[in-house]
Amino acid sequence: MNGRLGGLLGREPRVVAVGAPALAEALEQQAVAVQPVDWRPPPAEAVDALNAVLGDPRHATANATAVGRMLAARPRLVDVRPAGEVLGLEPGLFLHAGPPLEWDRASGPMRGALIGAMLLEGLAASPEEAERSLAAGTARLDSCHHHAAVGPMAGVVSPSMWMFVIEDTENGAARRSYCSLNEGLGKVLRYGAYGPEVIERLRWMGAVLGPVLRDAVRRHGPVDLTAITAQALQMGDELHNRNRAATSLLVRELAGDIVLAGAPPDRLAEVLRFVHGNDHFYLNLAMAAAKVSADAARGVPGSSLVVAMARNGTDFGIQVSGTGDRWFTGPAGTPDGLYLGSYGPADANPDIGDSTIMETAGLGGFAMAAAPAIVRFVGGEVPDALAATRRMREITLAEHPVFQVPILSFRGTPTGVDVTRVVRTGILPVINTGMAGRVAGTGQVGAGLVEPPAQVFTAALHALATQAR
Amino acid sequence: MTAVMREPVSLPTRQRPRPPLAGAARSAASVIPGAARTAGPDIPGAAGVSLRDLLDPPRTPGRVIAAFPAALYLEMRTAAEPRVLAVVCSDAVRLPNSVVIAAGSRDRPLRSIHEGEEAWAGDGLVEVGALRVRVRRWWDPSPTLGPVALARLTHGVRELEAALADARFGLAGHPDPHLLAGRCADGDLAGAVEAAERIVGLGPGLTPSGDDVLAALLVALRALGGSVQHGRTALWLADWLGAAVTADAETRTTTLAATLLHCAADGQASAEVIAVLRGIAGLEPLAPALRRLLAAGHTSGADLAFGLLAGCRAVLTLSLTALKGHRASA
Amino acid sequence: MNSWVEVRSGAYRDSVTLMRVSRTLAERDGVTAAMVAMATELNLDLLTQQGFAVPAGAGPNDLVVAIRGVGEAAVDGARRALDGLLAEVPAPAAPGIAETEPPRTAGAAARRLGEPGGLALVSVPGRYAFVEAMDALTAGLNVMVFSDNVPLHQEVALKEAAGRRGLIVMGPDCGTAVIGGVGLGFANAVRPGPVSLVAASGTGAQQMMCLLDTAGVGVRHVLGVGGRDLSAEVSGRSTLAALAALDADPATELIAVVTKPPAPRVADLVHSAARRLDTPVRFAMLGEDSADLTASTEEVLTTLGRAAPRWPSWPADRRTARPRPGALRGLFAGGTLCAEAALVARRVLGPAFGSGGHRLIDFGDDGYTRGRAHPLIDPTLRLERLAAEAADPACAVLLLDVVLGYGAEPDPAALLAPAVESALERRDDLRIVVSLCGTPADPQDRDRQAAALRAAGADVFVSNAAAARYAAGLARNGGGR
Repeated sequence: MNGRLGGLLGREPRVVAVGAPALAEALEQQAVAVQPVDWRPPPAEAVDALNAVLGDPRHATANATAVGRMLAARPRLVDVRPAGEVLGLEPGLFLHAGPPLEWDRASGPMRGALIGAMLLEGLAASPEEAERSLAAGTARLDSCHHHAAVGPMAGVVSPSMWMFVIEDTENGAARRSYCSLNEGLGKVLRYGAYGPEVIERLRWMGAVLGPVLRDAVRRHGPVDLTAITAQALQMGDELHNRNRAATSLLVRELAGDIVLAGAPPDRLAEVLRFVHGNDHFYLNLAMAAAKVSADAARGVPGSSLVVAMARNGTDFGIQVSGTGDRWFTGPAGTPDGLYLGSYGPADANPDIGDSTIMETAGLGGFAMAAAPAIVRFVGGEVPDALAATRRMREITLAEHPVFQVPILSFRGTPTGVDVTRVVRTGILPVINTGMAGRVAGTGQVGAGLVEPPAQVFTAALHALATQAR
Repeated sequence: MTAVMREPVSLPTRQRPRPPLAGAARSAASVIPGAARTAGPDIPGAAGVSLRDLLDPPRTPGRVIAAFPAALYLEMRTAAEPRVLAVVCSDAVRLPNSVVIAAGSRDRPLRSIHEGEEAWAGDGLVEVGALRVRVRRWWDPSPTLGPVALARLTHGVRELEAALADARFGLAGHPDPHLLAGRCADGDLAGAVEAAERIVGLGPGLTPSGDDVLAALLVALRALGGSVQHGRTALWLADWLGAAVTADAETRTTTLAATLLHCAADGQASAEVIAVLRGIAGLEPLAPALRRLLAAGHTSGADLAFGLLAGCRAVLTLSLTALKGHRASA
Repeated sequence: MNSWVEVRSGAYRDSVTLMRVSRTLAERDGVTAAMVAMATELNLDLLTQQGFAVPAGAGPNDLVVAIRGVGEAAVDGARRALDGLLAEVPAPAAPGIAETEPPRTAGAAARRLGEPGGLALVSVPGRYAFVEAMDALTAGLNVMVFSDNVPLHQEVALKEAAGRRGLIVMGPDCGTAVIGGVGLGFANAVRPGPVSLVAASGTGAQQMMCLLDTAGVGVRHVLGVGGRDLSAEVSGRSTLAALAALDADPATELIAVVTKPPAPRVADLVHSAARRLDTPVRFAMLGEDSADLTASTEEVLTTLGRAAPRWPSWPADRRTARPRPGALRGLFAGGTLCAEAALVARRVLGPAFGSGGHRLIDFGDDGYTRGRAHPLIDPTLRLERLAAEAADPACAVLLLDVVLGYGAEPDPAALLAPAVESALERRDDLRIVVSLCGTPADPQDRDRQAAALRAAGADVFVSNAAAARYAAGLARNGGGR
């Protein structure tokens, strides 16, 4: 087919027209169907950088390689173990969500979660002591993402917390990722609550839930999370704000092995009731699965694919395949949505959590069309959900071959955010999220949609431009 | 070369008020007929050249024999083929007797037209109800394939066979299409005509399955027969088989199918069929072209593909036979 | 057992509907057989074989309905259901489910086309053109860059990227192309035919395709390559790609390359590539010593074994006073037409062309288009200049081009004819010559435009070279030849 211009000369041309409408009109005068483009100029200061990045001969293939790896990943749940063991966390080191952060800049819920973790690890006897100690810099903080881990909301991980261990073997050597076990809703550590009931629940999770799940998973063998996620999408989950179907599918899958795990029946019942009471139980698995997929796409020189989006309650940060481990950060926005009870916008903390790894991998807000049941929860109607998923096609590199949306004729979810397309169109990734209370210890105050700050994409674009060939 | 566009200039809109004219130029200057009506109802259309005899002469009357969201079929009151003219949206199957308009069926540009309405065609215009389609462009529904090597054709036949393995044909289980294919490959004209006559008009719908098979067979014989070495027998078969099935098609099948058989006998086919022939000739990727063809109509796409395969096999067998004879006598 | 057979005239339905209706009827309680089909001979045979009594007079354009069932009620019920089933119209996609928002980038639009090998027509301002063009190439589309002001290194980068993907970039600054009979940018409505053009010059290509159409020889494709393609820096990348692609196109029987003289090294490259093709290639290179475009077209016709016609011209309806020798002033919208006219005029006028106040202006040139649209679209500037030149007593002959086709002004004579007429009313010794580049099928209709211009007093020529020769002759000799 070489030299044949892709078949251009053999049939009536199929034309995309971008620019002067008069030229498209001239085609319509000839009865030619034209696909018009609603083109708008990119920001003036980005033009040179866009030219440099798109002009890099590596760019197109690098993006194809990177997103290809993201799509090829087949994450499996292989184990459940304490963070101290699997991540080699030493006492006094705490992981947190989002880009790196210091105590001084940490928001209320992040501080609350760190205080709770200090109490859980026995490093402080009271919240006041924990806070003094953290402010004095006795604990070390680091980003989950630097340890192949992700955590929802505050995302605080301490050595005695149990972690899901996810593995992908489809992209060369086996790659693993980790996420803590979901605590449920209400007053929970990830929303910055650290009261006695929070610490008590975490202790129970370490003593009962973690070991039972460990034994069950080891008995069962690796659990194919791609299959569960794909089915859940067709059952109304978008895997960020709705995980009800996926959670149920996971329990069905593991039920036999949970029963045979060997724990006393009352303990098994506790475990099953706990999971039943928590529609978001699967979220943490989905996040780790998304993380291992996104990590597979890291480090492709010239690629403008986003491999991480994460918030720490103060900053929103992204990492890009072609720029290594560098973070591009801007101020975290406040989500727009609905509030629980009497809470209102003044109670909401700026955006927080690693759960945007779901949108990074083409789920969550990007799969909104699959989850009409929750569109009102995030302040919209069904057509808005369809429009949101479609709009994300404008800024992504591919459609997922396995994650399909029935109402969009089983087309795949838009996957792989491209920095250059975000800057060109000004369309920002749509993110579904929960809202944490501004004051430490409040817990969840609502849920809704949030957008990343546009400047993080512009900054990443300029970084790519400086290393373009 | 001079600059064609400067930035940031917005191009002027099409309707510009004209200054009043003076003197002798007044009568001649406004030279576009109906120019005052630039926003008028004429829709541009692109017509297959098979419709020239219908659209170039003065208007003839006719009526709408079928109206679908993506296509209208008009039967014109004329003695000679083509008698049926299709007005189709850009996303519809493009039959060789089509006038294509740029709008897609989703915009429902044909929604005001109903079965049985009066229609006119001629003077470069098709008129039905409020719809006026002006022919702005002609396209050629006959494939030009250039030389095709027999090895290439062999390869194409295999790909076609593989792709059709699970296709659902309108005449599945019916023996005559297979009989027709075999007799064509044998170069048995009389036998082929006999089998062909048994499937003209066979099957439900506007274009019965039997006619789809025949039309694609005829086009493949003509296009590939003219492109391979030793394709003369295939062309001869196309000539006589075409003449036989078109002779009384008007009485044996639907008017639309009869027109399409006439087009096929002249080597004209739908754009979807042409794309597959181009794919077989190696001019474009075959797989996507086949997918588009098989998606056409209910079983129509599969029936057309069946006819194409039969035609390709016949051309291949007849050429190889002629080649052997040629070598033996050399 | 009860049977019902009915023939409905002129009730066409597609096969999907008919098969679905037949099946739905057959599945009804008490119905043992049902067939709804067009009454072709063979379908009627099938009915007969199934034991139905087929009514006489049913033809292939009629719908035949045959139902058999146990008891009258079953058959009647099926008959009543039939009307509803036939009336069902496939519902259009519900609003909200159908795609509504247009794509925002060339790449996103390309993905909506659903298959590669199409064409992106890029006409955004030049500084943004590279990104859209590259995006389209990455998505598998060929690209025509109508925009100008695209830096040379970006042109090379685009053409290299296209080469890696087996695609072509036409342009930047490509004003004219025709693909399979579809005109892109400024293009004339020409009949389909065996000649394809590779053009580094837009109006040069328009002149040739109009002459070919006039000669009764149609045009297959016109691939523009942009004015800089044959420079040393770009090295004919698109010209070479176009030649290879046209050689592989079975419907192209002859290729003509329309260009100004290329850089010498590039000329060798292109000529040797042309020699390697199976398709004959003719070069129309508009240089000091080369043939004009009309002569080149005639050479193409000869190669095809066709005789060159008498190129149409329309002498002015009214003659004013006898013209006198004087200055030739050319006011052009087409750059290549202007260059060709200058070459022809120089040949007629000799060394005097440089001195005698003769002047040819290209209004498409950068100096005249900054901040306004091209004169092919907006004639204001040129009309003002026409009045000014006509008022200059030194000016004896005015030579103008009028370029028709898609993308151009919808009715150029509407403004030009009155301007010509009023200039001639004031100056009875002035002559106005028009080179009319167009075809009868153009939206503006060449012949009607010609009639209006001749009625206003202009001499009109289809061949630009002929127009220039005539105008230069008038400038040299006045009315005496």
